[in-house]
Amino acid sequence: MITLRINGVPVSVDAGTTLLDAARFLGIPIPTLCHMDGLSPYGACRLCVVEIGEEPRSRLVTSCTYPAEEGLLVRTGSARVVRARKMIVELLLASCPQSKVVQDLASGYDVRQQRFRQEYEDCILCGRCVRMCEEQMMAKAIGFSGRGEKRKIGTPFDRKSEVCRLCGGCLYVCPACQLRCTYAEPEKVICGACANLSPPCLEKETFGDMMCYMAPCVACEITKD
Amino acid sequence: MGRIVSLAEFSGFRLRVLGEQGAEEVKPCLVICAGTGGQASGSNDILRMIKRTILERKLQERISLRITGCQGFCQMDPFIVVEPGKHLYPKVKKEDLPRIIDAALNGRVIEDLLYKDASAHQCFSSQGDIPFFRNQMRVILGMNQQIDPIRILNYIEHGGYAAFEKVMLNPDPHWIIREIQLSGLRGRGGAGFPTWRKWELARSSGSTDGRRFVVCNADEGDPGAYMDRSLLEGNPHAIIEGMIIAGVAIGATQGVIYVRTEYPLAIKHALIAIRQARDLGLLGTNILGSKIDFDIDITRGAGAFVCGEETALIRSIEGWMGEPRQRPPYPIQRGIGGCPTCINNVETLANVPVIIGRGAAAYAQIGTPGNTGTKIFSLVGKIRNTGLVEVPLGTKISQVVYDIGGGPIGKARIKAVQTGGPSGGCIPAARFDLPIDYESLKEAGSIMGSGGMIVMDENTCMVDMAKYFMRFLKEESCGKCFTCRKGTQRMYEILEDISRGKGTLEHLSLLEELAHVVQDTTLCGLGQTASNPVLSTLRYFRSEYERHILQKRCDAFVCKDLVGAPCQAACPLGTEAWRYVAHIQRGEYEDAYRVIRDANPLPSVCARVCHHPCEDRCRTGVSGGDAIAVRALKRFVTDRIDPAVYRPARRAAQDADGTRVAVVGAGPAGISAAHYLSLQGHRVTLFEAEQTPGGMLVSGIPAYRLPREVLAREIAALLSGSVDIRTNTALGRDFTLQSLVRDGFKAVFLALGAHRSRRLGLDGEDLPGVFPAMQFLKAFNLRGASLAKGRVGVIGGGNSAIDAARVALRQEEVERSTIFYRRTRAEMPAFSEEIEDALDEGIAIETLVSPVRILSSDGRVTGLACIRNRLGERDATGRRPPVPMPGTEFTLPLDTIVVAIGEEPDLGSLASMGLECRDATTLRIAPDTYATNLPGVFAGGDMCTGPHNVIEAIAAGKRAAETMGRFVRGETLGRPPEPRLPESYIEAPSGSGEEFRHARRAPRPVCPSTLWKRSFAEVEMSLPEEDARREARRCLRCDLEFTQPKESESEAAAVGARRA
Repeated sequence: MITLRINGVPVSVDAGTTLLDAARFLGIPIPTLCHMDGLSPYGACRLCVVEIGEEPRSRLVTSCTYPAEEGLLVRTGSARVVRARKMIVELLLASCPQSKVVQDLASGYDVRQQRFRQEYEDCILCGRCVRMCEEQMMAKAIGFSGRGEKRKIGTPFDRKSEVCRLCGGCLYVCPACQLRCTYAEPEKVICGACANLSPPCLEKETFGDMMCYMAPCVACEITKD
Repeated sequence: MGRIVSLAEFSGFRLRVLGEQGAEEVKPCLVICAGTGGQASGSNDILRMIKRTILERKLQERISLRITGCQGFCQMDPFIVVEPGKHLYPKVKKEDLPRIIDAALNGRVIEDLLYKDASAHQCFSSQGDIPFFRNQMRVILGMNQQIDPIRILNYIEHGGYAAFEKVMLNPDPHWIIREIQLSGLRGRGGAGFPTWRKWELARSSGSTDGRRFVVCNADEGDPGAYMDRSLLEGNPHAIIEGMIIAGVAIGATQGVIYVRTEYPLAIKHALIAIRQARDLGLLGTNILGSKIDFDIDITRGAGAFVCGEETALIRSIEGWMGEPRQRPPYPIQRGIGGCPTCINNVETLANVPVIIGRGAAAYAQIGTPGNTGTKIFSLVGKIRNTGLVEVPLGTKISQVVYDIGGGPIGKARIKAVQTGGPSGGCIPAARFDLPIDYESLKEAGSIMGSGGMIVMDENTCMVDMAKYFMRFLKEESCGKCFTCRKGTQRMYEILEDISRGKGTLEHLSLLEELAHVVQDTTLCGLGQTASNPVLSTLRYFRSEYERHILQKRCDAFVCKDLVGAPCQAACPLGTEAWRYVAHIQRGEYEDAYRVIRDANPLPSVCARVCHHPCEDRCRTGVSGGDAIAVRALKRFVTDRIDPAVYRPARRAAQDADGTRVAVVGAGPAGISAAHYLSLQGHRVTLFEAEQTPGGMLVSGIPAYRLPREVLAREIAALLSGSVDIRTNTALGRDFTLQSLVRDGFKAVFLALGAHRSRRLGLDGEDLPGVFPAMQFLKAFNLRGASLAKGRVGVIGGGNSAIDAARVALRQEEVERSTIFYRRTRAEMPAFSEEIEDALDEGIAIETLVSPVRILSSDGRVTGLACIRNRLGERDATGRRPPVPMPGTEFTLPLDTIVVAIGEEPDLGSLASMGLECRDATTLRIAPDTYATNLPGVFAGGDMCTGPHNVIEAIAAGKRAAETMGRFVRGETLGRPPEPRLPESYIEAPSGSGEEFRHARRAPRPVCPSTLWKRSFAEVEMSLPEEDARREARRCLRCDLEFTQPKESESEAAAVGARRA
């Protein structure tokens, strides 16, 4: 058992537990995007960063990948962490404003402005779909290719995949296209409309009814009225 | 030479090789650098010719040839060093080879081909004396000159594999690691981690299958850094030896050299060296019977900068895409295949044989405690001696930049040095006394990095530098973590906006915020240091960013969207020099005149006396050719075109309610302001204290530079009929600001100029025969009084000093005229043409002399006591101040002394009129509106800036007239600045212009000196028409990029892409 302190609270966990899981055990919320229970941790979105160590040698690490260490001091809500999270959310809004997940994060972290040039991308390269396909669906049909700006997710050499079984797992886990924000004023970048409401579509039981990644969702329009 | 199988056999072999080398007779040897840089400069042709000569003339017994890797003196490539005398012949041409070979055969030296230091003006017969080499300590690089990299025997002859033998004698990791610890060696890849600790941790980490790896990181990705390439090309055996020793120390049996694929020569040499080592038995299984296995493989990179990062490098070796991962676990715990892997930089490994061979204690003597040993830097950029330099750690930056690097190439001053490549930061010139060590550079905001050192001067835009590095990092980021990928992209976007003139101050704070978040939250070193270029340029050069944002100016003339055509951007008036040059080329002289006159109300004056900042920035000149002679072309046009062809638009007096406006001072600033105010319809009264208008133009500048009639004609054209000029009327004496208000003037422009000569502060300065420069010049220029007689001494080095000396020479009773300047000729601020004309006329210029005492007798000056100076240590600006040398005093008999050390404004009575003056010589004005603290009172020209140039004064007058017009109409004074880009389209000349590519500049059109020596006839004349047309044809037409109509969409896209 490894004992560490999160926000001053001591907690003992098994070896190999990540800081994220340790924090969750204590009930401390840490936002995540690329993390998903059941998939291996990746550490791409950087939202889950926490501050470890003591000043002036403290640093930020992703809690979803960092293993618990004996005697480690962790702070999940320090000024540095909050500043980082807000900027990350701002960057997300600047790239992918139509995702409800991103809009909810913006509302949750009180981000009221987006100061960059607005883009409308469909992918934030969190890698959930890649890991889903490889680890849960055992197909490994899609992966990353390219570097930097040109990084993208697709099949090898963009050829039609022979191993893809069209299971839709990649769509199911994608935060960008999973839930479209369909606020009445699409030109306004920041929404914040349904942050505190649970959209009815999430309560549906069968996957087949989730059409949110397509055209404006009927369920959301009903709620808005 | 078969495989050696025992240590004893190897010892004997080595001793034999060393003995043979010592016994060999020393015949002359030609040493040629054939590293990548050398080959690119043409050393292959030189080599071919030498080989052919040796074979044809059967000189094999009498002379030898050594082909080496990179020796580091890259600026002088291709160069030949003749041993044993070590005579260095730089930039050798094929035609010189026969002479060089003959001289070498006969033990002679060819003086005119030897290396000459540009600043020292002396030639050096021995390489060791050359400052570039003398000031280095080439512990590692020095070997590159001694050996042919693909001959293992060469390496052994020079002591190679001695350290290996020592280790094989006692392959116990403990003493090896202890030696490295005592030596203090720190990783040379950038972070400076103690090498012994890395080895110790790698040795003691548990390995699942018993394997361990040694990796040599030769993925040198920093732009501008090529030290590792040169080491691997020039001395691969040193790396192999270092890796074997590392392997023994940590218990590894496999070594990998990870080389970037862009280094084909390094790969080739490394492969050859590995094969040779294997064949000899130094690599492989059971090396020399010791039961130790160690072999080396080479893995090539695939073009990714990020693969220089440890964990990404390991992924790449394993065959995956190079992506970093989180640490811990560190590579020394889990690396290749999950096994402990020790990754060391090329230079670190090259230091290992030196440490083991010489002993740690001897090694630790080099450098400073905590920063021992030497470091190789690639010194590149705006520096005279580009190349590789090796210095002990702790050496000051100034020593590297000036003593070894030779300082700046031209007149531009060095502004900063970038260390550590795209992960590093800039160190400004003011901090060049910093020692180069890991801690000092970190504290200053940079890092040591792998050793790239990029020198930047005044013509480098720091915003552009940050943008360049950000673009590099954006493209090289692996893209895995969101903040690095998006962060570098967005930082680049912001920097691009700023360099395009679309930046705001909010952008700056956003940039800083984003930079800190990227630094904090990214996964690997690339992201963590990506913000360094931005943060360090913001720390030291924030004003440049603010200039780009607030004034939309790029003072280094780099950011294209802010500069437009550099000649236009450099002109304080914004004269479209490119436009009138284009008209001249087309024979459209009247159009050319209109372009000139539209911008400049005093074109004939400027055509003679302007200091032509346009020429200084001309792209033809800046890129290595001769600048276009813009001023001479202006003179060509103004001489032949009647000014009447230009009619400025004029508002009638009654339309503007005939507001009364006063201008005080009829110098260039005042005359321009008066003219433009009158064009606006105001009733202008121009007050002038002297009896003639013109200011410095008539008081200071002599007639042989600016004929009186030309000046008078131009002034009359501007003032007569529209401006009421009152001469002999002085502010303070005849009227005050308050009296002007009472008389109904709604606005006042003060342009009093700077007419008070600065005093030396020596006793006797007020004696008869000693004159301040302005008094001397005014007496002659305005009243025709000759004050000088006999032997004249002029103290100073600026234009007034030259003017005073040359005017004195033209006065009847003067025998000779001498100028005394405290620094060197190169530092004299006067125009170089003036200095040359003065020397031509027989005026002597004594440099490095300062006056100490004025000698007199009977109340009259008899001479000057002076002291000689030497140039002292460089100060923060990079200049060397004059330092008097005691014991060198001497006296000179003189009959007249003129003190011309500079002028300053005389603001005496202004403070009493309510104007805010900081002291007696500095008036406070708002720089963009020319407003003083009193509403309605404006000021401009030399009285606000101190002595400057004519064109700046004219520009101040013109702009002040604009703001005053707005003031009178009750509008806001300031206007947001906009970059002035070329707008009118003038077709490009036909033909390829091939013959103009290497054409020289039209020579300065000077009358024969017999006509103007000691007379006031004008020195310069107009260019002949054919010369003018040819000169205009040389113009590169920088304007066309902005004005040319787009033929098609694809062309527009091409232009747009190019500008991105």
